[in-house]
Amino acid sequence: MTMFSPANLKRLFLILVITAVVAVMTGTPGSSTASPTTGVHGSFLERVSWFGLFVAPRWLLFTTLGVIVWLVVSLYRPRARSIRRGIDTALALPKALATKRSTRVALMLVALVVVIFLPKFVHESFWMYLIVEQIGVWILLALGLNVVVGFAGLLDLGFAAFYAIGAYTTAWLTGALPAPALFHHPIPTLWVIPIGILAAMIFGVLLGTPTLRLRGDYLAIVTLGFALIIDDFVETQSGVTGGGVGSAPVPHPALNLGFWHFHWGITPTPYYYLCLVFIIVFIIVFTSLERSRIGRAWVAIREDEVAAESVGINPLKYKVMAFAVGAASGGFGGVMSAGLVGIVNPGLFTFQISVNVLVLVIFGGMGSIWGVALGAIVIQTATSYLDNYQPWGYQINDLYMYIGALLIIMMIFRPAGLLPSRRRAREFAAAKGDEQVHTDEVLTGDQP
Amino acid sequence: MSDQVTTDLIIRAEKLTLRFGGVVSLRDVSIDMRRGEILAVIGPNGAGKTSLFNSLSGVYQPQEGSITFMARDAAPLSVIGKKAHQIAQAGVSRTFQASRLFSALNVFENIKIGAEDHRGIGLVGALVKGPGTRRGEHQSDEVVIKLLEFVGLTREANLIASQLSYGARRRLEIARALATDPEVILLDEPAAGTNPSEKLELAELIRRVRDERGVSVLLIEHDMKLVMSLAERLYVLNFGSVIAEGSPADVRANPVVIDAYLGSSHEETKA
Repeated sequence: MTMFSPANLKRLFLILVITAVVAVMTGTPGSSTASPTTGVHGSFLERVSWFGLFVAPRWLLFTTLGVIVWLVVSLYRPRARSIRRGIDTALALPKALATKRSTRVALMLVALVVVIFLPKFVHESFWMYLIVEQIGVWILLALGLNVVVGFAGLLDLGFAAFYAIGAYTTAWLTGALPAPALFHHPIPTLWVIPIGILAAMIFGVLLGTPTLRLRGDYLAIVTLGFALIIDDFVETQSGVTGGGVGSAPVPHPALNLGFWHFHWGITPTPYYYLCLVFIIVFIIVFTSLERSRIGRAWVAIREDEVAAESVGINPLKYKVMAFAVGAASGGFGGVMSAGLVGIVNPGLFTFQISVNVLVLVIFGGMGSIWGVALGAIVIQTATSYLDNYQPWGYQINDLYMYIGALLIIMMIFRPAGLLPSRRRAREFAAAKGDEQVHTDEVLTGDQP
Repeated sequence: MSDQVTTDLIIRAEKLTLRFGGVVSLRDVSIDMRRGEILAVIGPNGAGKTSLFNSLSGVYQPQEGSITFMARDAAPLSVIGKKAHQIAQAGVSRTFQASRLFSALNVFENIKIGAEDHRGIGLVGALVKGPGTRRGEHQSDEVVIKLLEFVGLTREANLIASQLSYGARRRLEIARALATDPEVILLDEPAAGTNPSEKLELAELIRRVRDERGVSVLLIEHDMKLVMSLAERLYVLNFGSVIAEGSPADVRANPVVIDAYLGSSHEETKA
């Protein structure tokens, strides 16, 4: 019946093409000099074990998998509606529970307990270090960019600049940069936190005031330019920043309250708690900002800048505010990273970092604080795992290919993100239904 | 209430010329608006009505001419050169032809954004939520509740703006504009896309905006029946120029208007 209809056969072809690509991606890399065909051989002809059952060439394995996928899809499609309805009824109760305030509070408490006791379960200090450096710092960055992109709707492609400013301020104030020190004695790393945050915020205002008059694409390009300038500056001005080599060692933070003295050393666990405290603080601050007048003004600007102006909102002022607020947690991420890694160098602040943070925000759900935090945890955990174990022929250079595929799939099936903010989800829904309105606008002419 | 209309002016636009490259959108347009009147601007598509509104509200900057807004308790304000948000804060509020609501927010939040004072907000004030901030929140909530009642959307307060019917959206837009506590409200085709019964409701609402809240109304409208019954005075624009001015009866009888706008056959009144 419909199994062998042209449309379904076309689907089979498409699935087989995708499978072939996957086979290439997961196969051994080719050698460019000795034998250019090793890649083809490794990808398709090599005999591999089928889940330990029997041994056959890879092409057979992948074709079989492709056909199985095709069969599942063909059988699923005619029944898609009833299956979806079944899933909906099964999920109705959990969904209703999830929207309840008490459930949310309980979930939050559970999450809090888990994150507090996490170091007790992670015994290897290597993993603890990765949790802080690869997840904690990235949550901070994602939370900050979320204010700019998610709350105020400004596409910032140069967020790593604020990260760099936080880190370099730390190195500078602790005397680790060639640049002349600001104070006579280098100040302890911990006291750099407020100054690093402030420096990033000031840069946010300085960058924002002239550029935020631009909208959309133009703004994105300008922020990109700014990030490239910072990147170039730290790379080339060796006399100030240490150039490509980076800074001298940044001392570990220490806290001296007179009666209590604490020193952050080599072990990552104390950094974990420092990072955790600040993540919680930023989550609280950003949540209450979102619910304040400022948060509502951001929504207004994001949704319709002209309408926002018509009720007396000065868009520039609120956009600059979003930049400065977002920069604060990005800057703290930099301070954190400098203190933990113990060195600051330009490699930490490339364009790729900005893109990566943006990916976390989009994946987690723009405008959703919890979504963005969860998105950062999921993607950064997966990345760290892949980088360190390299399973299934995975190679570090392939990372962005997978992330790209993940984003494409997300945009198709869950465009508002993993845990979308309620407002944003509505915006996406409204955008779908709005096409009618837009045609009307065109028809009536007389554009405002 | 038309007997209350005085010669006290609230907006005076003189010799406005607005060009986009070689296209002249407004040519020497002068308009006087009296405090407390319902004034309408009519004209065929492309006559420059919306351009005029955008000039009055700071969205466009005319190259020539002047616009003065005379608020009750403030020095006359020269509108040209001011930003849209400054004009809104001064007391000139507006709605848009294709309604521009914040479509992901609910009805209450839409009005509340209008009701809030956007001038003196600092980050710290918004975060710490001191007594001043809380009082401000409370005041804007009260304004919203009153306006919801005024436009008849109390029951829809929690609906998302995009779920509303066309007529309700237009009323919400008026409520949001009123929330800024304006002295003048500019309504750009408030009845566009509404059905006949919604049109009647809107006309009633617009009259109440002036009568009960004392806000002067300037409106653009295509529906002749609505304009003629609502407006006390009319300006007729054609090809970017004012071709007539006067009471509805005068305008209807003016041969220039009939030629230029209504067409030679009165059948086509509805354009």
